[in-house]
Amino acid sequence: MSTGGNENGSQSIVEAEDLRRRYGEGEAAVEALAGVTVSFPAGRYAAIMGPSGSGKSTLMHILAGLDRPTSGVVRIGGVDLTRLDDRELTQLRRDRVGFIFQTFNLLPVLNGEENILLPLSIAGRKPDREWFDRLVDTVGIRDRLTHRPAELSGGQQQRVAVARALITRPSVVFADEPSGNLDSKASGDVLELLRHAVDDFGQTVVMVTHDAHAASFADRLLVLADGRIVHDGDAVTSEQALDLMKSVG
Amino acid sequence: MLSLVLRGFLQRKLRVLLTGIAIALGVALMAGTYILTDTINKSFAGIFNVANRGHDVVITPTQSLGRNTRSQTSPVTDRILAQVRATPGVAEAAGSIFTPGAFLDVHGKRLTVGGAPAFIGSEVPTRFESFTVAHGRFAANASEVAIDEATANRNNLKLGGQMVVAGSAPAKPYTIVGILRFGGGQSFGGAGAAILTLPEAQRVLALPGHFDQIDVAARSGIAANVLRERIRAVLPSTVDVRTGAQQAAKDTSDLESNLGFIRTFLLVFAYVALVVGAFIIFNTFSITVAQRTREFGLLRTLGASRRQVMQSVLYEGLLLGVGGSVLGLLGGLVLAPALNALFKAFGADLPHNGTVVQTRTIVVSLLVGTVVTLLAGLPPALRATRVPPIAAMREGVGIPPRRLPSRRRLIGRFLAVLVLFIALSVIVGGKVLLPVLLVIWAWRLIRLIARVRRGDRPPHYRLVPALARVIGVLVSWRGITGRLARENSIRQPGRTLITAAALTVGIALVAFVSVLADGTKATINQAVSRSFAGDLIIENSQAGNREQGIPALLAPSVRQVPGVASVTPIAFTVGRLRGSSSNARVTAIDPATFERVYRVEWKQGSNATLLALGNEGVVVTKGYAESKHLKVGQRISVLTPTEEHVPLTVRGIASDNARLLGNLTITLALARASFGQGEDALDFVSYAPGASNAEVQPAVNRLLAAAFPQARSRTAAQFKQDQANQINTLLALIYVLLALSVIVSLFGIVNTLILSIYERTRELGMMRAIGTSRRQIRQMIRYESVITALIGGVFGLVIGVVGAVLVTSLALSGSGYVQSIPVGTLAILIVVAAVAGLLAAQLPARRAARLDMLQALASE
Repeated sequence: MSTGGNENGSQSIVEAEDLRRRYGEGEAAVEALAGVTVSFPAGRYAAIMGPSGSGKSTLMHILAGLDRPTSGVVRIGGVDLTRLDDRELTQLRRDRVGFIFQTFNLLPVLNGEENILLPLSIAGRKPDREWFDRLVDTVGIRDRLTHRPAELSGGQQQRVAVARALITRPSVVFADEPSGNLDSKASGDVLELLRHAVDDFGQTVVMVTHDAHAASFADRLLVLADGRIVHDGDAVTSEQALDLMKSVG
Repeated sequence: MLSLVLRGFLQRKLRVLLTGIAIALGVALMAGTYILTDTINKSFAGIFNVANRGHDVVITPTQSLGRNTRSQTSPVTDRILAQVRATPGVAEAAGSIFTPGAFLDVHGKRLTVGGAPAFIGSEVPTRFESFTVAHGRFAANASEVAIDEATANRNNLKLGGQMVVAGSAPAKPYTIVGILRFGGGQSFGGAGAAILTLPEAQRVLALPGHFDQIDVAARSGIAANVLRERIRAVLPSTVDVRTGAQQAAKDTSDLESNLGFIRTFLLVFAYVALVVGAFIIFNTFSITVAQRTREFGLLRTLGASRRQVMQSVLYEGLLLGVGGSVLGLLGGLVLAPALNALFKAFGADLPHNGTVVQTRTIVVSLLVGTVVTLLAGLPPALRATRVPPIAAMREGVGIPPRRLPSRRRLIGRFLAVLVLFIALSVIVGGKVLLPVLLVIWAWRLIRLIARVRRGDRPPHYRLVPALARVIGVLVSWRGITGRLARENSIRQPGRTLITAAALTVGIALVAFVSVLADGTKATINQAVSRSFAGDLIIENSQAGNREQGIPALLAPSVRQVPGVASVTPIAFTVGRLRGSSSNARVTAIDPATFERVYRVEWKQGSNATLLALGNEGVVVTKGYAESKHLKVGQRISVLTPTEEHVPLTVRGIASDNARLLGNLTITLALARASFGQGEDALDFVSYAPGASNAEVQPAVNRLLAAAFPQARSRTAAQFKQDQANQINTLLALIYVLLALSVIVSLFGIVNTLILSIYERTRELGMMRAIGTSRRQIRQMIRYESVITALIGGVFGLVIGVVGAVLVTSLALSGSGYVQSIPVGTLAILIVVAAVAGLLAAQLPARRAARLDMLQALASE
């Protein structure tokens, strides 16, 4: 859902209130999220950083409706995810959420084009050819559309994955370490692509990363430690991000 | 190593269970077969022991032509009885009758069920009597009968009631004066016995002055074998003289031979199920070895030898084999009564008291189950040894292909295996085993040739993907789930092929049998239409039972029915050509009337040949003439069931697609005189010009109901239908037993799906994350399963149909076999395969849909 680049982000697409997530029982219980309240305005690019075990992945999973909080409320486009059953959550992810994974997660049996169109195929919807063409040209894989993932480089696979995440014009794209498995050149390309999606298509992007360089592409940086938000500020450079991480690490 | 294996086992409970069941089902059928047949044999042994109790010596007709070939005119006569009584040392001797016949209620309904025999017997002196009186008494005159308790209870017969006994004389009603219990309370199976007075029994069976058996008791102080010697010395060779114990042993061993075919029949299906199980074990082990490449690499890095890696896989096979076999053995205990119920449902009610589990049953079941499992697990185990240690470190290290041994070693190895297979089948003594092993051997040979031609390149599959694409059309219109199912099914064509192959075995056999059955029905139809020129066929209403004929008196009686122009009786007996070791089927006809109702296809001779047969002429069928090198004019000598050597001259050679004519065709008069043939098998009736079936058949039926209730009349159309029904019954039994193999192959599909789903955990997680519903996931797995099943079904269908057509055209060429393809049955078979696929997908589909998304995405 492109909102045409609302610079101020007055409208929040994703909101979380006092999220808590506890794994396990009794003594061995681990609190992955210890009360997180955050909102993500439309058309903005947010990076979530934090050391291993800080709860950043858990936060993203809950925000995306892949996991449920122990307590607290999550809303995407005003809909409370914690009140939805599995079927409704599936529907919501299908229509309003896009995903980019560290390991690309393309289906090896489908070619590039089919992989991009997969979310629409699942939903049983006809693709918007114009939008598809625009995306394909944006990510630059027109000449790779008939190739299967095994015939693509990592960077090409991740670009297919970006196109797949955007094809449904979701309210928000969640990217989980999108550059984690790529070399620096390919990594830069993919991060540029996400930046481009925010700037040109007004896409809302939430990215989890532990790479300071990746975080420097975002508009906003959140840092998590021990299940809490310890920093929430505007865009920073790689160096600043690194310093921030050192201070919490 | 062993503890590692055990731990792995516990972690993969479901897979172990599914694979174990695959082998257990085959073992269960095997064990069940042994238990059932042992139980039946033991029950019969019990019956025979009771029947021969108190008998020191027993005199019965000699059967040089083998068991089941007793002359209908017994050589045990009054004269023999007098000679026995005159022998010193004999305290008491009595002749008795115990012969299959028919008994019915007053409305003409048979009192025995299915194909179970009904015996007409005579009362014997108390010391020889196997029956005790439960209620009432034995028959005292020619209008009284005593009947066994089981038959009485089943039909609610009471003392003072009426029943009809039908033998060779016209049937008549008797008053029930006694309910009898077989000694020791042994069950008789579904069989019944009606005991008449001796003279009445002889009259009913048209055997006055003849007995089936003479029982002898020795004076005290004289040993049974001594008395046997004395009696033997005075009696002719047409009778056998045995002690009671010898007779019981002979009866038991005759019966075991007679029932042996049941064991062989069932064991065939057990072996088929085991072969299918072996496919599944092979496939499961192959997949898990591939999935555990990293683990094996790790073991190798930690210093495990190749041998230890192989052992770890084989131990798993051993545990699985032993576990599955034990499970199968227990299953056999459950299956044995079920098999008995199955036979009962198909009309074979055999006595079975208790459950006999012999050591042999346990040993063979455990051994066969374990060995099959180990053999099937061996190739994957060998494959595991080729995992390089580096596989532990790096993702995606494959197992390098096996190096090809030198040609000389290959040839040597194949010959060694061939010798081993032959030796094995000689030791085990199975006629089934050798072909199966040879097929496996041939298959390995084909695989090896393919590998040699391929060199180092991985195998390239064409057929499976092509077939999956065609079948996939069925589901791909359902959108992305169908499309993905199709693609997933050919991702690992080798795996899909073997999974499907397990189903192929069962489907191919069903297709093969159904084509064969359909052809046989068509052949019979055509043969009856071409050869039979009469209007009615009269036969025993227990159709398909060759032991049960119709009385010779029937033909003259039917001739009296208005509208009947002629009746020609036909009888079947056996004889043995001098110098031959097997019996020839002999058909006896009435030459004067035969040609009016039956068209013989003469190779040499004509219908005039029949008229001139006389007492020394014989017509030989073409096939028999060829195999015995017989020519027209040649003189032969035939040993008859009455121990006579009859000289005959070959007068003609005929081919007979209806197979009414046996190897030899003689006149009925000769059969009566020299073959002891008292009964007829069939009467062919033809109507007078202008007589209509609507009038004549009911008149014939009225006569049969009144005097010969064991017989029935059939028009040619009804006769064809009867034959078809008999084939259908057998077919149904075979289908039920083959269903087990299909069920086994379902477990294979389940297993493969579960393992494939495990491999695709991440993919499924991603699909769920981007909005695939659980229903869609389930649908996708189901479609994949259906495609796999249909690949197996199509292969099976093609192999079965082509196989049946090949076999029949090779083996039955020139025999008038008519090819016929049961299109409807085959279509149903394909639907069954698809439904089987759907069923197999239930559990895996549910598991895939329930997958924990986060774990799926996190798993490496």
